[in-house]
Order: sequence, then C-alpha cells, then structure tokens
Amino acid sequence: MTDDRARGGTALGNAPGVGKRPGIGTALGRVAVALTVAFGGLAAGAGYWQVARSADLSSSPDDAAVIAAGRHIVRGEITDRDGTRLAWTVKDSNGEPQRKYLSPSLSGVVGYASPVYGTAGLERAYQAELTGITPADPVQDLVKKFRADPSDPQAIRTTLVAKLQQAAVTALGKDRGAVVMLDPRTGEVLALASTPVFDASALADPQAAKAAMAGLQANPDLPLLPRATQGRYVPGSVFKIVTAIAGLGSGAIDSTTTFPEQPAAEKKGLLVDGFRITDGHPVTTAKPLDLVGATEQSSNIWFALAGLRTGGDALAAWAQKLGFGDPIPFDLATAASQVTGGGGDFGGGFSDAVELANAAYGQAETVVTPLQMALVASTIADGGVLMHPHLVESFSGKAGTKAVDPEVWRQILPAGLAQDINLAMQQAVNGTLGRQFTTGSQVKGLRVAGKSGTAELGGTGEPNSWFIGFAPAGDPQIAIAVVVEQGGRGAERAAPIAGQMLAAWKAWAGR
Amino acid sequence: MTAVTRAIAGTRIRPRLRGRELGLLAVVAVTVAIGSVSLAATRGLVAGSAPFNGGTFFADQLALVAYLGMLFVAHLVFVLSGRRTDQVLLPTVGLLGGISLLLMERLPQGLVGGLGLGRNQLLWLLASIALMTAIGAIVRSDAWLRLYKYTWAALGVGLLLLTFAFGHDVNGQRLALSIGPLTGQPSELLKVILVVFLAGYLSENRPLLMDESSNLGPLRLPPLPYLAPMIAMWAIALSIVVVQGDLGAALLFFAVFLILLYVATARASFVALGMVAFVAGGIVLYQAVPHVRVRVDIWLDPFATASTSGYQVVQALHAFARGGILGTGLGAGLPAVGGLPPGGIPALHTDFPFAALGEELGLVGIMAILGLYLVVIERGLRIAASAADDFRAILAAGLSLVIGVQAFIIAAGNLKLIPLTGITLPFISYGGSSLLANGVVMGLLIALSDRGVEPPPAPGARRGRFRLRDRGIA
Repeated sequence: MTDDRARGGTALGNAPGVGKRPGIGTALGRVAVALTVAFGGLAAGAGYWQVARSADLSSSPDDAAVIAAGRHIVRGEITDRDGTRLAWTVKDSNGEPQRKYLSPSLSGVVGYASPVYGTAGLERAYQAELTGITPADPVQDLVKKFRADPSDPQAIRTTLVAKLQQAAVTALGKDRGAVVMLDPRTGEVLALASTPVFDASALADPQAAKAAMAGLQANPDLPLLPRATQGRYVPGSVFKIVTAIAGLGSGAIDSTTTFPEQPAAEKKGLLVDGFRITDGHPVTTAKPLDLVGATEQSSNIWFALAGLRTGGDALAAWAQKLGFGDPIPFDLATAASQVTGGGGDFGGGFSDAVELANAAYGQAETVVTPLQMALVASTIADGGVLMHPHLVESFSGKAGTKAVDPEVWRQILPAGLAQDINLAMQQAVNGTLGRQFTTGSQVKGLRVAGKSGTAELGGTGEPNSWFIGFAPAGDPQIAIAVVVEQGGRGAERAAPIAGQMLAAWKAWAGR
Repeated sequence: MTAVTRAIAGTRIRPRLRGRELGLLAVVAVTVAIGSVSLAATRGLVAGSAPFNGGTFFADQLALVAYLGMLFVAHLVFVLSGRRTDQVLLPTVGLLGGISLLLMERLPQGLVGGLGLGRNQLLWLLASIALMTAIGAIVRSDAWLRLYKYTWAALGVGLLLLTFAFGHDVNGQRLALSIGPLTGQPSELLKVILVVFLAGYLSENRPLLMDESSNLGPLRLPPLPYLAPMIAMWAIALSIVVVQGDLGAALLFFAVFLILLYVATARASFVALGMVAFVAGGIVLYQAVPHVRVRVDIWLDPFATASTSGYQVVQALHAFARGGILGTGLGAGLPAVGGLPPGGIPALHTDFPFAALGEELGLVGIMAILGLYLVVIERGLRIAASAADDFRAILAAGLSLVIGVQAFIIAAGNLKLIPLTGITLPFISYGGSSLLANGVVMGLLIALSDRGVEPPPAPGARRGRFRLRDRGIA
C-alpha cells in the first residue's frame, strides 16, 4: 500500500503534459473525499432505518413479516383486567389456528384477526407482540436468529372490564353510539364500546369470513367503524367544559365572572356581528350567571361571551393541550378532534367572531371523538392532570411479564381551577335546574359530576345526545363519555346510559 | 513491436507471483463458502425440518465450486500474464459477485426463466469475470480508445437513438433493446463508451478548459466553444429521462460527467454551473414528465401511498428495519421476499438487492458492502493518480466512478435518501448487461493499473485540432 501511495505522489508531479498547470491529483483527492463522505451518508441512512426505525417499522401491523406470521402462529391470548379471556386461539379441523372472541361487545376495541381480512383493533395494534415477532426483551430480540424457535407469542392483559363493556353495549341497545370509561388517576381504559357491534369470531373463521364481511360492508350503520376512537361528532354543550378550561386556564375569566348583557340576551338572543345566538331553553333570571350557574343551566349565551373574551388563539391552544388537532396517541388508531376547520384569520384558525362564539358552546366547525371528550372529563376529575390513555396492563411471554405503567401526559390546569369546574359539573347533575338536562345520570349513593350535550346537526334530524362526567365527585375514580347518534337531547338518551354505566361501575368496584 | 505482439510471441512473458491477490482471494473463498453453508443450514430450518436437510452442507455446491474456481483461474491468468497490475480489484469484485450468487440462490428461482435465478446469475458472473480477466491480462495499448474518441461518441449516440426508436419498455421505462435473440440494456454499454469519450475529450482540451474562460457578469464560465459538450451532455441526460423514462442512467451519466469535468479542470465553478443546470432541468422535468413526478412524490412520502405506488419503497424500508444490526441471516429473511405481493418486493432481484441484503445481513453486512464499493473507488482513483498521462488518469477515474456512483445512486434510492431509480447495483443485481459491462469496466481499470506498461503514444500520433504542443514524454 505505502509504495503505491509514494508512487502516486511522484508520478503525478512528473506526469507528462501536466506542465505548469496543477496536476489532477488534488482534484482526485477531493473527489475521493467527497465520495467517501457520500458513502458515509449511505451508511448513516442505513443506520437510520436499521437501528433508529427498526423496532417501529418491523413491529408495525403493516410489516410483511408481521402479517405473514399472523397467518400460522398461535397468537397470544387477550384478557380483561380481571383475567377473563376476551380472545383466544383454537385449532380448526385442519389443525390451523383460528381466533375466538368472548363477545361481540368487544368488536370495536379488540377487533379481529382474520385469515382473509387481516387484523383490526388490538389484534392489529399488537400483532407483533401477539405473534411473538417482537419479544418483550431487546436482548432476546438481538439473538433470536440463533434460536430454533425465534417467536415468542405474548399474552396481553388489557385494562378493560368485560362486564362494563357488555353493559355499555346493552345500554346503547339498537342505537349507534359509543361509551368510553377510564380511570382518571391512571388513564386505564375500562370500557371502549361502539355500536352496532359485529361478530369477530365469524371473521376469524375461514369458512364464514367472506359472507360475514360482505354483510358488514353492506350495512349502512357502518359496524366496522370503531366510533369510540374514530367517530367524529359535533359536541354541543359538552364542549362548554373545554371552553371553561381555556377561559380559566388562560385567566380570561374566573369562576365568579359574570356578563351584564347575559340576562337580557337570554330572552332576545345575543347579537354577534349580526348573528343571533339563542338558548334553546331560556331560563329567565334577572341575575347574571357565573360559571356554576351557566354550567348548570347550560347557557349558550354565557359560554359564547366567555369564548369571545378568551379569544380564538387561546381557545384553540387550550384545546390542543387537551389533545385536539392531532390523533390522540393511544393503543388503537384515533381520529383527530378539531375546534375549527381552520384557515381563518380571526385567531386560532377561526374565521370570525360568529364562528368563535358558536364553537365556544360546541357548534360551528367543532367535531370531537368520544375518547377526546372522555379525556376532557378525566382532566377535570384528576385535578387538572391529563393521564396518557391506555388499554394494556401488561404483556407476558417466555421472558416474563412486562407491565405498562401509568404516565402523565400533560399537566393542564392547576388543581384549584379544575376544582371550580368540578363544582360546576356537580351542580349540573345535582342542582335543581341542572337535573332537567341530566336526568338519569344520577346514581344512588354515588355523587356524579357531569355535563350533558345536545348537538344540533342542522336539517331536521334528531340531535346527537351527549354526556361526559365522572364519579365520585369528591374523589373521582372513573370518567365517562357517552354519545348516542341522533339520540335526541342529552337528558333523553346519553345521561341515562351514563347513569347505568356508573351504577355498573360502582357494582364492579364494590362500592 | 507492440506489447500485444510480444505477448503473443511469448518472448517477454515471465510469470509474476501475486501474493496479495492470492491471500485476499483465499479470504473471499472462505467468506463465500461460509455464506453458502449458512444458507444451506437456514433453508432446512425455514422449511421446518433440521438444518442441512438437503443432504449437503452447501447451498449449491456446483455453483460454489464453479464460481470460486473461476476466481482462482482469473488469478492464475494474471500471474501468467506477468503484468504488474492491481491485486485488490479482483478479490473485491469476487466478493461482491459471491454475495450476489448467494442472494440469487436464496431468492425464488422462478423470478426468471432459463436455468433459474441462481444458475443464470452464475453464468453471467462467470462471463463477466472472464471478460474482466481477458481485458485486464491482454490489453496493453490504449491507442484504440484514445484515438477514436469521436467514433466512440458516434457509436454511443447511435446506440442511444436505436434505443429511443426500437427499445421496448420494462416497467414503463424504455430500457431494453433486442437484436435478434439478444436482449440487453444499452445504457450499461453506453456508460463505458461515455467514460472513454470523456477521457479523450477532456484530456485533450484540458489546458484550454483550465486557462481560458469567458465572463458572464460575475460568473467565470468555461470558454464558450467548450460549453457545447456540457450542454450536449445535459441535453442527452434530459432526453434519456424524457424519451426512456430512465432516471437512473441520466443521473449516472450527468454525475460522472460533472465529476470528470472537475477532475480535468479543478474548477468548482463548472460543477456549480452543472448543478444549477441539473436542478433547473429537474424542476422542468418534475412539472412536465408524469413519471418523474410520481418518483419524486413517492420519495417525499412513500408511506402515504404504501399500498399502491409507494409499495415497493415502503416494503424495502421495512426489509431494512427487519434486518436491524445483525440481520436475520442468509435465507432467513421474509419467506416471500422477492415474490409478489403481499410481502414481496417487486423487481427485488434487479432494483432492490440492497434491501434484501439489508434484511438478511443487517447493518453490519450493508456497511461491509458499502466498504467494498469504496475500495473499488479508492483503488480506481489511486490508479488515476499514478497514471502516466491525463487520458489514462481521467479514464481510470471515470471507470471507477461509473461503478461507485452507480452503486451510490441505487443504494441511496433503496434507502429513500434520493428518489428511486431503476439502475442496477454493480456486480450484485441480477442481469447480464450490467454484469458484462461492469466486467469490461473493471478489466480496463486493471489494465490501466499496470505499472510496467508501455508509455502513451507520442503527441504526434494524435489527431484533432487542439494538439497539446506543450506536452512531451517524460
């Protein structure tokens, strides 16, 4: 090597024809350096995909090896938090593994693993773990190529309660809708129901799958849509809690704020830039309402004024803190909630004062997922702290059990401000006037806080019926969001379902 | 008497031992043999039985023996030829080819007709090494390349026009040209012709390109008459994209041209000018040619179209990710790899061997392969630096660059660093045209590395108007 280099150096200087002009040696040297750097770039690129993105891509449900493994490997079991089996595998008559499911009530959350139609729900989200492509232990992952049987199918213990899930589907009945229940202290999801449900066992059966899927796809009620996480609904009055969080959090209002023009406007409506905002249920009191009163009576006027005072920028920013704007990071795929369609120049993407005022009480361009609204309730319940919502308690495989720990996602409000809203929501369920709107959500022996919603959809159809809340109000341990598509007013459909679910939770929790 | 006639007469030939080459070849042989054993072992496991259930410890014993035998025959020919040529290039190419052989044996054999993927590739590899050896051992004079550069250029343009007119489409790109029963990719041959022409043209006009310039405002441009070939190259590259849809060849030609222009003139302003022209051309093509736009859009976000147009690229990235640091091991990658959807990468054996190797050999293997190409580049540039005159220097640089830059373009495309183009990974991708052309390239490079070669022809033997009067034989 060294003699070559020496020769190269001298040969250049003496090369014929080079004369006074610089030799091409310098240029060649620079080209060599440039190409070495370029190849270093290739190595860095390979490192990015093979190290930095390796775990993420190779365990993705879209990965070809993960999909292939799903066809012939005996998947791990999925259980609820009490150990009840939700999904397990049997061998069919040909000895091929086939998935069975406890109940159709789980279809929206557990999903399916079908030999024909791939996977959905938790079966999709944790395909790599259930089939054992990704062992729980990274060291095992590195050396798995040296083992005879590299796969380590893991069992998943979810945070779900099968009984509550079943109760939610029973309560929703023939209606389309969703129920989300989670523990505000940990973010553990206890129920994530979506109706109509479907029979995932039929999709997992190679003989029955095609007919079952054809029926589901032809159904105009879209049973395959997991409404709890991906349904996007106009929120109506339940969004007032978001406005209250933004108003109190930004300091634009406090719990004693009143608007002098509000009592008069309750009768004639509130003019915003020529647009008249009214309350569908005018309550005639001469005294201006504060936060508690406005929440109890669900005053559109008060919240429109509060929203205008808070401003578009602050409302959008606080909504974003709560998870609006992007899909919520969760075990399952989620749709993004939005305060406004965006693009406007009034601040925060709102196009004008009218849109902002309407959005502040949950109309306009505002759409939300049930999971998002459950998180709003959970934030108030947990004293202003938003926990990361999650569905899995632990993974267990050959290498042992790996628990998923609760994690704070965001600190939203100081505890004192959250308590102000908590009190307002208690009054909305238990106050003399509030009860009119939330009939049915009360549970004997359990103090419930909440907010109902009646989301006008335009046209002549029935509005969407909403309820969000938590219990026990003094020491919240469960948060809930209920939506019933075209279920009428909040009190008619969603509030009673929430009442039933909270009672079922109380029975389960032994309180 | 010329060297060739002396060689034929056998009067001056004295065998010369090549110890370094032999040692490196032994390492290559052991490495490839181990790879073959590893593949045979994995095959049994993947099939669900014991390792080596095929009854043999090698994946394809005959192919292994034939291939390694060819490498040692090539070594022997170099020894007998008695020339003092480079001893690193043969083992480097030998290892790249060995990796290719193992990969092609491992992929589904039915991807091509004939004897199947592995055996077809073996034959092309043998032919390629034979060509490389023959050229490296026999060619001593470069006059036939040097003197007829415009003939070569005319041949190249003719070949290009033939392809434009009579080529047929492969995957929406007009890449292949059939003459009778033979089908080939002319761009592979074209790249060799291009380098020979550029070496002749640039070495002859080097003084003028370096010393003179015309000013356009603050810019120092090459003398205007000499801008013509630059514009011609640019136009040829553009027309290859527009007419053939062959982004890879266009990118390769233009990049090699710019680098050689820099080597010849040491003027970065020319390269900058070329880059500006390239970017401008690229923007126009993006607007005007749907094929280009699709490729660029896929590059920007392949995951957005993961199940349609971005499928190939996304699957390749998943393959890299599955490989991780150590890889799954030869033969243990995704079973459907190289097959059709779901899970396989279309055109894997030609366009994505780098991704398949990334899965099975891991980041470690990828680094090793990139290292092998760097060795080719560094040896080639070193041969250029110690060449006897400018023509040989630029030729040697160009020959190593067509290998190195081509490897870079396709590897970067596989890794989503640049838009994907359908060119081959030299000595690894499946395909005869590519292997034969690269065999010629390496053969010429080895021949040029001869340190006991006869001097270049005297200036008087040159043709052309721009004779270099200030040149003399040292």
